[in-house]
Amino acid sequence: MDLSAPPVIRLSQARLSYPTPDGEIEVLSGIDLSVSPGEIVAVTGPSGSGKSSLIAVIGGLEPLSGGQARVLETDMTAETERGRTLLRRRDIGIVFQAYHLVPSMTALQNAALPLTLAGDPDAQAKAERMLERVGLGHRLTHRPSALSGGEQQRVAVARAFVAAPRLVLADEPTGNLDQRTGETVIRTMFDLARGSGTALLLVTHDPALADRCDRTLVIEGGRVVT
Amino acid sequence: MSAETIGGSAADGRAGNAPARWAVLFGLVRAELGFGILGLRLFMTCVVIASAMLGLIWLLSDGLADAMRDNATRILGGDVAVTVVNAPLDGGTETALSSLGRSSRVVELRSTAAAGPADAPRRLTVELKAVDAAYPLYGAVEMARGTDIQAALAERDGIAGAVVEPSLLAQLGLEIGDTIRLGESSFEIRDRLLREPDRLSAGTFLVGPRVLIARDRLEETGLTGRGSLTEYRTRVRFTGGTEPEAALAAVRSAEPARGWELQTPSEAAERVREVTNRTTTFLGVSGLAAFAIGLTGAWAAVAMWIGRRHRTIAQYRLSGATTSMVVALHAVLVAVAGALALAIGLTIASIGAALLLDMLTTRLHLLWEPEALVGEVLLVAVTLALGLAGALVAGLSGITRVPPLRAMRDDVPGIGLSPRDGLVAGGLLAASLVLAIAGLPNPGMAVAAALGLTVVAGLLAGLGLLIARAAFRLPADGFLALAVRQGFTAPRAVMLRTVALGIGIAGITGVVAVQHSLQTAFETQIPTRAPDLVLLDVQAPQVERIRAQVAETPELGGLQATPFMRTRLLEVNGRPVEEALVNPDKDWVIEGDRSFSWAAEPTGSELLAGEWWPADYDGPPLVSAEEDVMEAFDLKPGDALTYSVLGRVFTSEVANIRKEYHRTMRPEFLVVASPTPFRNAPHGWIVSLQGVTGESLDGFVSALSREAPNVTVIDVRRLVSDAAEVVEGAILGTLMIAAILLLAGSLSLAATVSADVDSRRREAVALSVVGATRREIAIARLCEAAATGLAAAAVGGSAGLLASWWIADGALRVDWAPGLVALVLPAALGVITAVAAGLAGGLGALPRGRGQLARMLSG
Repeated sequence: MDLSAPPVIRLSQARLSYPTPDGEIEVLSGIDLSVSPGEIVAVTGPSGSGKSSLIAVIGGLEPLSGGQARVLETDMTAETERGRTLLRRRDIGIVFQAYHLVPSMTALQNAALPLTLAGDPDAQAKAERMLERVGLGHRLTHRPSALSGGEQQRVAVARAFVAAPRLVLADEPTGNLDQRTGETVIRTMFDLARGSGTALLLVTHDPALADRCDRTLVIEGGRVVT
Repeated sequence: MSAETIGGSAADGRAGNAPARWAVLFGLVRAELGFGILGLRLFMTCVVIASAMLGLIWLLSDGLADAMRDNATRILGGDVAVTVVNAPLDGGTETALSSLGRSSRVVELRSTAAAGPADAPRRLTVELKAVDAAYPLYGAVEMARGTDIQAALAERDGIAGAVVEPSLLAQLGLEIGDTIRLGESSFEIRDRLLREPDRLSAGTFLVGPRVLIARDRLEETGLTGRGSLTEYRTRVRFTGGTEPEAALAAVRSAEPARGWELQTPSEAAERVREVTNRTTTFLGVSGLAAFAIGLTGAWAAVAMWIGRRHRTIAQYRLSGATTSMVVALHAVLVAVAGALALAIGLTIASIGAALLLDMLTTRLHLLWEPEALVGEVLLVAVTLALGLAGALVAGLSGITRVPPLRAMRDDVPGIGLSPRDGLVAGGLLAASLVLAIAGLPNPGMAVAAALGLTVVAGLLAGLGLLIARAAFRLPADGFLALAVRQGFTAPRAVMLRTVALGIGIAGITGVVAVQHSLQTAFETQIPTRAPDLVLLDVQAPQVERIRAQVAETPELGGLQATPFMRTRLLEVNGRPVEEALVNPDKDWVIEGDRSFSWAAEPTGSELLAGEWWPADYDGPPLVSAEEDVMEAFDLKPGDALTYSVLGRVFTSEVANIRKEYHRTMRPEFLVVASPTPFRNAPHGWIVSLQGVTGESLDGFVSALSREAPNVTVIDVRRLVSDAAEVVEGAILGTLMIAAILLLAGSLSLAATVSADVDSRRREAVALSVVGATRREIAIARLCEAAATGLAAAAVGGSAGLLASWWIADGALRVDWAPGLVALVLPAALGVITAVAAGLAGGLGALPRGRGQLARMLSG
């Protein structure tokens, strides 16, 4: 963790609202946040507090409705959707509770996808090495439907880290897994993040897991309360 | 069948008694219908297309067949008809026929009508028909002014009357009241002919408009001279006391000479029906194909709808609804949508069939009753309902195996058809197909065609499978290649898509290739091969004068004169031809009178077997048989052929077998004999002129009509042009059918794409998460759809080109020239329809709008 380097995430009064039939509903109501390179930060809070929306904003999946967001030196409020997508491809890995693997692709193809998109000629070899690191060297040619939940999530983790991103976002990555499998996934993620100096923003309901992170942010009603 | 299958019992242990269960079901149906059945619109579109297409074809073909049957006596013109060529029946035979009931005599021949000044007349080849006072024995002649036929033909102010088809007035620039000249007589045009009850007895190919005159004014025209090609028909309408079978036996026993043709109404209708059967069977098979493709689409659409309702189904199950209740609810909803779509499809079919039947029966001079369609519509509805029930059972099958908890998950894999439901669905579909085939006018031909179609579909499927497997094994390093390859991960799905699109592509490609071949033939081959002018009924002395005139006028081109007579084949090696026939496809060679000629020297045709007789041969007649005769009887040189010519019966040795290349367009004859004794018999000649240039033709024809009024002039160039128009119409119709097949196929494809839309959306989300831009995802999807389309194009296009070669070379006998369009079109059609179907089915679905992506990701 390098606290002297510019933060990988800096949010200032970040606001996000969605249209509904009854009018706009605000899910982020002025979030201030800063994450340093290599830092592992837990985000906790009750359901509906805006944790997943925070991940969507930082990952460039949703444009802010107001405020400022700088992620990896990129002004996300000014950047186009294409620009945000390319940033994600290059420098941001994301892991979700529901895995979100491409069902028709093998584990190797899924893990290699960010590199394939970037046109990396060594995509397959790098992905193969990454899958071996997460313990799936023997499941390279299996499709998601042939993998257990824990294995699918480890493929998702491999995919998130394969392009050596500077930032990984994880939204309740163990929510669908039993405790033992979840622990394996978390340990893998922590090892990969610490080994590569990647910043990790981890949404979780698990206080014990939050305690293992460098610090914890609590969100309630779309605001950071601690 | 258990309660866990679609067709099983509706027993619902929790819901209490039966009335209560029905009340619950009714309430649920009402609530669901209140929300609407828009989710089933793709299913409904498939059903509308399937029912409209099959219904239209079925109603049209049945309507035509019924019209033929109901009009049988009108078509023949009596309860029995006897036709002889060249010379009328003798008085004794006529008297014998007249004794059986009311009789009528009609004479038909081709002639030339002239109008305008005698020194510069306008001329037109016409189909002349002279009718007696008893005509018509059945039906009525319909004319524009509603006058009586006998009154219209009668002499007024010293001039006899004529009734003509409107096209004659248009082509000669005449009005009612004007005069036309036929041979040496003049006739006043009294009315326009709209419907002639016995029109079809003259055959379906007429070289000019019909002209009706009185029988007793025919002789004075001088058109029935020596050797004229004239058909004399005597019809009898049995009186009340006549026993038909006994009367027919009496007619047969009165046969004055072998070579006359005796027909009954059923035979006359059957002959015409054979022609329409071929057309309607082709249409029927197309209808069956659309029906099959449409039902496949309907099945996929229902399955897709059920797939999207997994959560709803699970909610019902979690709330305590039994499987049978959930199945019943969905079955009712689909049935309501299906019935609505069926009603729309059948309404379209009924209106279309009524309009087409009205047009066709008017053209064929038949009467048709719209009420006759009602029963047929019900039968079509039952057939379609059975097919729909099969598709419904297949589509709903998945419901029975969706456990409540499993259905609550998003990653539920597709649930297919259970074997038991598969059997029920297959049985219903088979019953529907059997009914549909049985409803076609020629079930045997329809079964053969349906089997052929199945084989083609099987080949398309096999090729699709091979392409899918080959494509999947190709290396795919880049993102696009990887994405395209995703379209081939499920070979069975690729197979179905290839068949769904391939049939339509094959149809359109085939039609376009045939059309181009015909167009090329009409534009380039026929003009160089076909004569410009054909003169019929030319007498021997006239031939020499014409030959001299052509020799003096180089602009008239080359001349070919051929003796022309008619013959009727009677026996082969002493056995009647009906018994000797070994190839039923060639039975036309024994139907009616066929072309006959004599020649001292070879006609220029290729000899398949045997030798031509010496040029100076003067012995008993030898004959040269055309290839079709050989195929009809397995004939070979040395066999004996018995035939009648001009009422005399001859038995000759077959000297050789000839092959006629029909595409040469020159006069062809089924049988050619050695000259003696036919050289001296009374007969006409066919004279053809080829290579005519400049304006000399008009002067030649004018002079000919003055000097030889008996000669019929046929402008082949105009006939070719008319034929081209007819062919264009047929091509347009076929093209429309193929387009509908393609539409049905693309809808079916859209339905199968729709079935995957949710997983595709999740896939798009996953791609988006790892940094694929919208553009990249869209291009990948388009490439994937295009690849599917190209696979279908490869197999469908090949099948279409192969079929077009067979049709052009074998059936139409023109050179196969598919043209560039037919070669490029399959790929374009495949890509466009696959992409359009993919987009319509939601292939390009990406979450849009604020919050959608985040919600999907966290869900």
